[in-house]
Amino acid sequence: MKLVALLGALALATRVAAQEPRLERLDSAARAPVAALLDSARAAGLPPEPLIQRALEGTTKGAPPDRVVAAVRRLATDLGRAREALGLSTDPLELEAGAAALRAGASPAALAQLRRARHQPLMVPLAVLADLVASGVPPDSAAAAVLVLAGSARDADLVEFRRAVERDIALGASPAGAATGAARETFGAVTDVNSSARTGSARPRRP
Amino acid sequence: MPRAWAAVVGAVCSLTAFPRTSLAQTTATLDLSVSSVRYDGFLPSGAAALAPSVRWERPGTSLTAQGTYLRFESGNVSLQGNVTGSIFTAPTHRWRGQVLATAGVSSYAEFPSFRHTIGEARLHRLGEHSGAWISGTVGRSSLGGTPRPVTGLAIAGWAQRAGVQLFASATRAFVGDTAFSDLEAAVRARRGALALEGYAGARLWSRGAGRGVYGEGSATLALSDRLALVLSGGRYPTDPVRGSISGRYASVALRLHTPPDWPSHPPFAGSRATSDALAWVEVLPQGDRAVRFIVRAPDAGLVEIAGDFTDWQPITLGRGSDGIWTVVVRIPKGIHRIAVRVDGGPWTAPAGARRADDDYGGEVGIFVVP
Repeated sequence: MKLVALLGALALATRVAAQEPRLERLDSAARAPVAALLDSARAAGLPPEPLIQRALEGTTKGAPPDRVVAAVRRLATDLGRAREALGLSTDPLELEAGAAALRAGASPAALAQLRRARHQPLMVPLAVLADLVASGVPPDSAAAAVLVLAGSARDADLVEFRRAVERDIALGASPAGAATGAARETFGAVTDVNSSARTGSARPRRP
Repeated sequence: MPRAWAAVVGAVCSLTAFPRTSLAQTTATLDLSVSSVRYDGFLPSGAAALAPSVRWERPGTSLTAQGTYLRFESGNVSLQGNVTGSIFTAPTHRWRGQVLATAGVSSYAEFPSFRHTIGEARLHRLGEHSGAWISGTVGRSSLGGTPRPVTGLAIAGWAQRAGVQLFASATRAFVGDTAFSDLEAAVRARRGALALEGYAGARLWSRGAGRGVYGEGSATLALSDRLALVLSGGRYPTDPVRGSISGRYASVALRLHTPPDWPSHPPFAGSRATSDALAWVEVLPQGDRAVRFIVRAPDAGLVEIAGDFTDWQPITLGRGSDGIWTVVVRIPKGIHRIAVRVDGGPWTAPAGARRADDDYGGEVGIFVVP
């Protein structure tokens, strides 16, 4: 019975590998398990591309096969958790961003709140949430700040907000204080201090 | 002198706020403008101008050369050129010295040329969000072949917070037998692609340089990473050092400029690809999802990046001047992962991207292309 199951898995892996030629770059020991994970992901409605990329990353970095398989499996789990929090209709980019936010330390509840608060695509808010948490902003504070902004802010505003937080942290502010302060202020919080204000002034000197 | 405030505050802020690197960069701009000008004592006139500028800088040091070719309705032409160098000394606690040197020349129609050579020493007191300095200036200014000594004292303070810079100064200057005092305040703010600047001043206790209030404002709208629209106008006072007379103007300019080699938002989480290599990633705000990758590795023979946007196949960067390796790649919208390696060494995460555990015992950079 075990032999039949093994043969079946191998046949499945061979078929998936044939459909996805990039898997040929994987170590032979990783190829079949990864192919099986891809097939499971497809069957569950999860996007396979992030999983393929995670496997290729491990291969490029020379990771052992078991570590590649474990990384792909973990990402598949994260994608599943993200979809659970964000909803079945979540697009692949949002799912990937959601998985990254969960991995960074954001809670599934925060992702669900974000989905309810924003009717525009969530990829950038989720990426900002992940960045804030990774920067040391407590997950609850990060989620609260992003939620405040997510209802009306444009993606570009959120990116500027994240930069403002990072800059204030670099300047010595506490991560939580930086997030709260930057959220309170109007956007456009980053000054390009390297650029000269009056280079090439066209002001006339004499008549 | 005082109206170089923005560049000065920028330079000082950059010394206090951001990590230092040993990278140098050269940037250039060219302003093409049309103006309406009215000098005191003259009729209004239209004018067109070309104003190139080149700036070389590295942390603590800069050299700027700029010029203006201005043609009036009458066909008369004004030419002006200026070179300024600045060096900061090493910091001692909160104190830091700065030496500036400026030389310039200007001419108008058949009149004799003005020339000036000025040296200035400043002592800065630096805080994280504010600072102050005192300075002394010596030099000479000449009209034709007649030199006049220039001396001056100034005290100034600045503060920056959340995208807004404030500046205030008091200056007392002597140019030959001319003497004057200027009080000035300025503000500069930036929101997205729009930068606004304004300053106001008053000339007091003047002997031969006029009295009164003045002020200018400008709005610069970045249209791309190489093009900006600049609207400016206001009134400025006589400058006895450079030979300009007071007047008012309104101007519309197109500014062409090279994109900076440094990221416009410097990396906060420094990442060393090797002991002497510094890498960062910058998402260029071009709207076409171009991403620039930069690695400083002067001694490297090979610099590569790999990411999900290359299917994790390494691509080689091109070597530029000063050991700077770059490549610009158009990357689809989404969350992306990237790693950098130098001379076949370990894969590392570049600065400018969020660093995360890569599940393989190392780190990976994560960035978003909106």
